[in-house]
Amino acid sequence: MRDLYLRVGPSRAACARAPLLKALLIGAIGLSAMLLSGCVTATVQQVREAHTGIGEDDRVVVLGRRHKSRNETETDFIHCVSDQITKKSDGVKVMTENEFVDSVFPWFEPLTAPLDVDDLTNVISRPLVAERIDEIGVRYLVWIEGDTVRSSEAGRLTCNIISGAIPACIGFLSWDSDSNYEASIWDVKSGIHAGRVSAEASGTSFVPAVVVPIPIIAQVRQSACTGLSDQLREFLASES
Amino acid sequence: MMTRSTNALTRTVTQGVRLGLVPIAMAFLFGCTGANVVVETVVPSPLVDRLPVRVGVFFDESLKGYVHEETLEDHGNFRIELGSVQVPVFERVFDALFEEAVALSTMEAGDGVEAIIVPVFEELQFAIPAQTRSQFFEVWIKYRIDVYDPGGELLAQWPLPAYGKSNERNFGFMEDSKGSGLTEASVRALRDAAARLSFYFPRVPEIADLVEEA
Repeated sequence: MRDLYLRVGPSRAACARAPLLKALLIGAIGLSAMLLSGCVTATVQQVREAHTGIGEDDRVVVLGRRHKSRNETETDFIHCVSDQITKKSDGVKVMTENEFVDSVFPWFEPLTAPLDVDDLTNVISRPLVAERIDEIGVRYLVWIEGDTVRSSEAGRLTCNIISGAIPACIGFLSWDSDSNYEASIWDVKSGIHAGRVSAEASGTSFVPAVVVPIPIIAQVRQSACTGLSDQLREFLASES
Repeated sequence: MMTRSTNALTRTVTQGVRLGLVPIAMAFLFGCTGANVVVETVVPSPLVDRLPVRVGVFFDESLKGYVHEETLEDHGNFRIELGSVQVPVFERVFDALFEEAVALSTMEAGDGVEAIIVPVFEELQFAIPAQTRSQFFEVWIKYRIDVYDPGGELLAQWPLPAYGKSNERNFGFMEDSKGSGLTEASVRALRDAAARLSFYFPRVPEIADLVEEA
């Protein structure tokens, strides 16, 4: 078992200077403001429980849990992780979630999807399902849980129509976003839980407005996606 | 050079106005307009063991043409058109589930089959996030599957509930989230119906008896 910690984006100390940044941002409305984005800190952790490694014909599927009544992982996030593994990988082939759940219908619907590797073993012990999984070459299932939430919203922004029917806004809005995702990796071929990778990210977004509102958005979910997919790619391809 | 800078500034201001005001405009636009949804989907053929039984399937008009219309106070008029998509969903499941599933034009046309199956639409309910304070659009559908012997005598009535939900956070602010959310939730409810039918219908005692006799 091995834990690995990574950090991407500016440090927390940089984020602690947010009040100063707020003041500077209000005065810096202009061309450069459109290019700014809020600061984000991200942490990625990995726990390995078994050896992995991927063959030439093996494919990976990234899936979201759909059976819960809250905190369902955003479809965009699943697509993002899937796309990033595909784009940056050398050898990891990814099958889309829709393609997979359709090809093994109805065994991975919210009602029927296996919740642990024992359930998975029961599902793939059925000849029809085993044959189909073998046919499509799926070796690893990556189940993602978690979401991104907004918190600590503050400030006020007011927009009015001024003379000449010109809209104008004034004020300042800010909010914090927190992402918390965990991916469980199942080895379908061996019927075991190979490990977990988790990603946490947080950041503050601002919208200062003096006539024109200028959103300076912290790309929190995107940072979590990048961190998680980079680590997943390494986890799957590594044979240790 | 001066001209290029001015153009860049103008472009930036325009983008800023768009970014700031478009969400407000969209909120006005989609805030209380309801939704008009025509559900279209193709449910995959289920991977299940085929039962050695020959059945006839009869779809009545109430199932084929079903449209749900409802007005929600403060949220507008909602219309969900499910009719045209339900028959292919049931056909796909029965084709996979039985050795042969024959579409019947009338209930009396069931010569040569061991049972006649009639899916009956009973009820649809939906909820939007603003009503439930959750992040989901939800659709509940209640079907009933009637099973008759070839002579037209009712053998069993089996309830088939189905549920689908869709996360409102999957839709951008520019999108009509009510329309997209209810469409996705309806599609998931139909998939749920197909999944439940594939898994549990063979366990209905009268169907299990037919399999045993075969």
